[in-house]
Amino acid sequence: MKKRLLSFIAFSLILLSGCSGDGKVTDSDLALLKTTHPPAVLIDKNTKGNLDLVENIEHDVEKMKELYDVAVVKSNGDTLVAYKVKHLQRFHMKKIEKKMTKMLEEKYPDENFIVSSDYKIFIEAVELQEKMKDPDFTDKKAKKKLDKIIKLKKEMT
Amino acid sequence: MSKKANKTPEQQQYEQLEQKHELKRPVLKNCIRAFWVGGLICVVGQAITYFYIYFFNFTEQTAGNPTVATMIFISMLLTGFGVYDRLGQFGGAGSAVPVTGFGNAVISAAIEHRTEGFVLGVGGNMFKLAGSVILFGVFSAFVVALIKTLLIIWGVI
Repeated sequence: MKKRLLSFIAFSLILLSGCSGDGKVTDSDLALLKTTHPPAVLIDKNTKGNLDLVENIEHDVEKMKELYDVAVVKSNGDTLVAYKVKHLQRFHMKKIEKKMTKMLEEKYPDENFIVSSDYKIFIEAVELQEKMKDPDFTDKKAKKKLDKIIKLKKEMT
Repeated sequence: MSKKANKTPEQQQYEQLEQKHELKRPVLKNCIRAFWVGGLICVVGQAITYFYIYFFNFTEQTAGNPTVATMIFISMLLTGFGVYDRLGQFGGAGSAVPVTGFGNAVISAAIEHRTEGFVLGVGGNMFKLAGSVILFGVFSAFVVALIKTLLIIWGVI
């Protein structure tokens, strides 16, 4: 019995650990486990006004004491704000979302905000930010990826 | 009239004798075991949720469905292998209350009635235990959905 149990545990461990890929670990791989603090991303005309705007949005959101990690992606249409809520504050998730949306809409009335506390959206936002560093990754591709993230956010089931 | 008054002197005597020899149930120990086993099952479930979030296009909201399906499938396999019985013996309610208990209830009934044939035995008895879960689950979901729909129509939420 003990032998069977041991072999079962060993088998499941091997199954769970699997292959470790190419060995390159990026921030988006660990975004679920640690605080990444990704810089704000701008998929739009690279003007100083726009850059300041994304930075300001990120700073304003980071000021909320219930959060510990924020990712902001702005395109010419929508602005995605993904954030991670501190563990014990997760009970007030809806309240925090409402508060943030209200704050952002009051401060930046011209922007269309999409706010999400979902881990998946956060991971995807960090991944997008990492891909933007690659010069081959065009703005068109980035916009497409952002649209995919927004579509994912709106999915209910 | 109370129950005790109905009993004959012999019956009362026997009751006293029975109480003297009755083993006390280790309630606290059972609770602790159930807590650990149930908690461990939930840890596995959480790991599977993160697996779906990381490697597939599921958000925190949508990852619940495949997670439940996977957990039920795993518990069905474990019941077939005879592992879940031991877990149930050790953990008690801790192994029955999470959704894995549903898979166990389906497969254990199927195994039990296998000798009676595939249609009337397995088919007819498979949902003997789990059928009530499905029935009341579907019915309560219907009632809650009805209440929510009415509240939305009336503009309360």
